[in-house]
Amino acid sequence: MFKLALKNILFYKSRSITTFILTFISTLLFIVYVAMMDGSHESMLKNALKVYTGAIEVYKKEYRDIGGNEYLINDVKSIEEKLSHIEGIKTYTSRYETYGLLSSKEISSAAMVTGINPDKEAQMSQLKHTLIKGEYLKHDSGNCLYVGADLVKKLGVDIGGEITFVGSASDNSFAADIFKLCGVFKTGSFEFDAMAAFVTRTYFDTLMYSENKASYISIALNNLDEVDSINAHIASKMDTDIESLTWKTLMKPMVEAMEVDSVFGYISMSLFYVVIFFVIMIFGFINVSSRVREFGTLRCIGLSQGKIRTLLFYEMFILSTAAILLAMPLGGAIAYYFSLNPIVIEGMSEMYKDYGIISDEMPFAFNLLTISWNVATIYVLNFLSIIYPVSYINSFKPIEATHHV
Amino acid sequence: MFKMILKLAWNNAFLRLSRTLLVIIMIAVSMSMMLSIQGIYDGMTLNMVNSALRSDSGEISIYNKNYRLDKQIVNDIQNAGEICADLENNPSVKAVSVRYSVEGLSATARKASFSNIIGIDLEEEEKFGAFSKFLKEGEISFEKRGALLGAELAKTLKVRIGSKLIFSTQDKSGDINSIALKVRGIIQTNNLVIDQRALYIERKQLYEFLGVDTNTATQIAIRTDDDALINTIKKEYSEQEVKSFLELNPLLKQMEDMMVIFNSITFTIVMLVVFIGILGVMYVSILDRIREFGIMRGIGMAYNHLRTQIFLEALFVGLAGYSVGAILGFFALYYLQETGLNLSTYAEGMASFGMPTIIYAHQEFSYYSNTFYAIVLSSLLSVLLPLRKIKHLHPIDVIKADT
Repeated sequence: MFKLALKNILFYKSRSITTFILTFISTLLFIVYVAMMDGSHESMLKNALKVYTGAIEVYKKEYRDIGGNEYLINDVKSIEEKLSHIEGIKTYTSRYETYGLLSSKEISSAAMVTGINPDKEAQMSQLKHTLIKGEYLKHDSGNCLYVGADLVKKLGVDIGGEITFVGSASDNSFAADIFKLCGVFKTGSFEFDAMAAFVTRTYFDTLMYSENKASYISIALNNLDEVDSINAHIASKMDTDIESLTWKTLMKPMVEAMEVDSVFGYISMSLFYVVIFFVIMIFGFINVSSRVREFGTLRCIGLSQGKIRTLLFYEMFILSTAAILLAMPLGGAIAYYFSLNPIVIEGMSEMYKDYGIISDEMPFAFNLLTISWNVATIYVLNFLSIIYPVSYINSFKPIEATHHV
Repeated sequence: MFKMILKLAWNNAFLRLSRTLLVIIMIAVSMSMMLSIQGIYDGMTLNMVNSALRSDSGEISIYNKNYRLDKQIVNDIQNAGEICADLENNPSVKAVSVRYSVEGLSATARKASFSNIIGIDLEEEEKFGAFSKFLKEGEISFEKRGALLGAELAKTLKVRIGSKLIFSTQDKSGDINSIALKVRGIIQTNNLVIDQRALYIERKQLYEFLGVDTNTATQIAIRTDDDALINTIKKEYSEQEVKSFLELNPLLKQMEDMMVIFNSITFTIVMLVVFIGILGVMYVSILDRIREFGIMRGIGMAYNHLRTQIFLEALFVGLAGYSVGAILGFFALYYLQETGLNLSTYAEGMASFGMPTIIYAHQEFSYYSNTFYAIVLSSLLSVLLPLRKIKHLHPIDVIKADT
């Protein structure tokens, strides 16, 4: 039956070529499009995680919903001690965040000032690597301030310049100090660069009365894929008034935005596949309808309806497999190449900064599992397209088919 | 003669009914899907453009030349009152809104966030962009130090109607000044910058708080239908920066352009595949009847008449598909216009794109006319190849041919 199918494919060239080309194009397009879409989403999430947000963050319950000094973590050391025994954690660091006004001689601006451990922060995030002027913080930097480029521009200060801070301390008392601008960073995230300033925790704790306190503890992992299991482990070790949240919750708007984008992507793709499905079906139908007499003869010499079904299934199988075997490695190679050498669209990050895009690079995602389900979808569509032609040909009685004109 | 050709074409177009029906279904399904997708995407873009027009820039905005680079009080427009009065006397101007805006810190007892305090006149804004339609919660009122907050800002500050907040910023003298406000309403414009940052108060109150002259403004926004008005305003107020909507929102312009490109590519690919589908059916249909055509040629029917008949057959099939597709597409778009596409499952994601959770489709005549031309063209082109085959065959050979 397989041999007969192969002969039929070679004999009915126009149908075979059309099915082959359409299957090849749709498979290639599907693999490349999904790789591009997934890649750009993964890149946006990874960049956002690299900049500041941890893979997991530990909070006192209600801090994120209500906020305020009552919901600060009050025993950082004991939590860090517990974290040190959990496998899979790369590093962790506590942060004390507060909002206040930063002022130069002429200009004032609202800012998020955060007390950090400079050494641990350098392992956690991109803060150290995004330095563009001056120097990064050290544990003994004192009143040095490390400020986002857009905030520095707004305040109009240069390295060594004085910046006044006015805010409220962890005990709700008034806190004010004069800092010195030591370093400027630029992450590319406009929002972050226009509002964030960092200071060494040891110094900031004395000003804010925040020793052993933290807004939250940020955690980096060795393998991001293990985030859910490690988070469950952390949650089981913490007191009931502490919660640990993964990046999926922390960056929910971004995750949802990616999902929406994917939904629209698949809707657009579905249009192509519906049209291609119909064309393959039409060519399949034309082909079998021109072979009614041939099938009638085959039935007369003893082939069952099931065998006819198998024959047409083999024909589609051979054509689809040949097209997919050619398209899959090609699509995979394109996805793999651009996963290593991302497409660069100059000015993309500047244009879309409000949407959280901080890089001009658009890498593809190379994932064999994704490619496999892309290919499986095409297979399924192709096999669905022969259902009607098969039922059409099997609706004829053998003698009736041999007389068909 | 033409009547006979017409009849022949009609009968032959539906001779192999299953085959023809498959083509009609293919055209109808792909066309209705394409129209729905196009309508939804256009609806999304138009919604964003409309939000930005109504909530912020209008068709034209006037700023101090330095303001957009350095948003400080010193860079405000000094003679805003006179400019506004002049503009209101211009018959091309439909509405004018004078706004004063400064950046600062909004804080409650527990949360703080960056925000832009914007002094507005509610009557002006209502006329300018039907401001009250942006209301999500509460009421549009500035009574007793009332303030209206952008929906995302309200979410960040965790405030509700009646909550109190403090806004702090630098006033004209350079001192840090604070004002206590009560949240009267929460607005959702779907303009990202407004929803995430805006804190609206009465314009007069902001002038007083900042210690600035009441004849000043940071932005004068204009609504107009006259495309040429911008040139007049640019000449008249050459000492200020006058920008059109598209100059102020290059991203929206780019999104609009990208949507046009995307829709065009989709349209072309779909029509190309539809063309292949019609071509396949017409080609086989003509080859099936090649002896029939030979006989017709043999009894004296001119090639031109045969050609007309085949063109008409293709047209009938194409137009039947188009008609079903147009009806299906119209109802799909009508449903999406009235009910919308509900994406509230992704509410936070949609908000981060500056989009509403329900997207309403857009529908216009050009969707149907463009598709009509494309399908007619695809149908006519699809028979050129089989026609060439018929043209070069001798009637006697054709009659003898074994199909």
